Amino acid sequence: MKQLRAELLKIRSTRTTTGLLVGLIALALLFTILTCTLSPISQLLTEREQANVLSFGSVAGVFAALAGIMLFTSEYRFGTIRPTSLFNADRNRLFTAKFIAGMLSGLIFGVIGEGIVLSVGVGIFKLRGVGLVMSGANVTELIVGAVIGTALWGAIGVGIGAIVPNQVGAVISLLAWGFVVENLVFGFLPTIGRFLPVHAADAMMGSIQDKQLPGDVGVMVVVAWALTLAVVGLALLRRRDVT
Amino acid sequence: MTYVIESVSLSKRYGDVLAVDNLSFNIEAGTITGFLGPNGAGKSTTLRMLLGLAKPTLGHATIFGKPYGELEEPALRVGAVLEATDFHPGRSGRDHLRMLSRAVGLPDKRADDVLELVELQEAARRRVKGYSLGMRQRLGLASALLGDPDLLVLDEPANGLDPEGVRWLRDFLRDFASRGRTVLISSHVLAEIAQTVDRVLIISHGRLITESTLEELTARVGGVVRVQSTRPDQLALALHREGISTSRPNDHTLLAQGTTRERVGDIALAEGIAIHELLTEGSSLEEVFLDLTSEVVTP
Repeated sequence: MKQLRAELLKIRSTRTTTGLLVGLIALALLFTILTCTLSPISQLLTEREQANVLSFGSVAGVFAALAGIMLFTSEYRFGTIRPTSLFNADRNRLFTAKFIAGMLSGLIFGVIGEGIVLSVGVGIFKLRGVGLVMSGANVTELIVGAVIGTALWGAIGVGIGAIVPNQVGAVISLLAWGFVVENLVFGFLPTIGRFLPVHAADAMMGSIQDKQLPGDVGVMVVVAWALTLAVVGLALLRRRDVT
Repeated sequence: MTYVIESVSLSKRYGDVLAVDNLSFNIEAGTITGFLGPNGAGKSTTLRMLLGLAKPTLGHATIFGKPYGELEEPALRVGAVLEATDFHPGRSGRDHLRMLSRAVGLPDKRADDVLELVELQEAARRRVKGYSLGMRQRLGLASALLGDPDLLVLDEPANGLDPEGVRWLRDFLRDFASRGRTVLISSHVLAEIAQTVDRVLIISHGRLITESTLEELTARVGGVVRVQSTRPDQLALALHREGISTSRPNDHTLLAQGTTRERVGDIALAEGIAIHELLTEGSSLEEVFLDLTSEVVTP
């Protein structure tokens, strides 16, 4: 708990988090405004079409993962891993605190991201005379899925940061995986690709695209990814010397 | 006797390089020990092993009788600074300290207290990237002092400090040790810490070369004790009886070879001979240090 308080202060006390939040807000606003205003009304009428647009809040997962990555990599980049490890010599406790802090910051990113997309998107729908056809249950699934998914991406980021302490390497690994590798695998081998973290997290928000996992399975798969990366990251953290 | 630090056959290998080689030493409470060696001698690696940051390939080290990682809240007993640059440049000095305080359950006020102690309160809320090297050294020291520790471990703390900063550090460490606390301070320049330390551990190529007081060190490598007395003949006889050879540059002065001031003073006292001057001459400490560390170590 003490280390968690320290980690939360670390997140708040630099401009990195603010920068990521500003980036998320700008991207969410830009995408929602452009998509909702420029798409023909005929493409915004079905539940699937509306869910597709309103699920863009899941982009917060990228920002949450980056924030999670920074929790470890900035410690190595700036050498603060030394005082951090001296003040908390128990690597298990240190990792757990960062893992929880990554999830909590991801949760906030998720609320902000999905909150912006949903409120602005539905507002523009109204202005254009388009009613929300999604059921209350589906909207709830979308919100909960986006927020929980983003929180889990924060935790996944912590695992990646522990495995790849080099900040540039970790960020490139994340982006290359999320935007290239996964899409290729899902495109060619959807039966495998749907078990990969980005597509499994998408599944948590309801039926957005074909061939995806059921929502509850999606949650379990993303949790499994977060825990697997955590186990590997913690093992490396315990083994690696702090130089 | 329980030592504050015990290093037993500590060794660290990185691939083909043996960075630390069978290093054993002890540090007693209430002392300031200089940990000396040229760059690359293995000082920083040794300190990291003592502090649980690096795992020894062989051997072990304890602090207050336990490995660092097994101490209950080690940062409340041991304060350490390993690099002067271990700060996020975008974080304020105060937030850096608050973050470390929270990790060990200390109140934020403790961060303000140590900032005042190292005379950094004016810059507390400024981001570290605007700090000079001297200010960063002080901030590092402040972080080490957060837990009000009994032992300070400092790796090259005088690096980049101006003479005023070096004097400030010396006074600070002297005051710290005067309250029965212990300091282990590393440096690659003996002169930098010669006026601060009581004892020295000198390593080269990862091996312990010597462990002694500064005075013993000087005497061992050809040091000479100059002593002035109104009875130089009697004193010379007394010293000869103890196996110490002397020479007589003038009427009232004796030069005693290969001994220490303490020993000459004790012998004079035992003989009831008054002495008016007692000082160590000979090779400069830096020369001694360079001599010792430049010796080729054969495996």
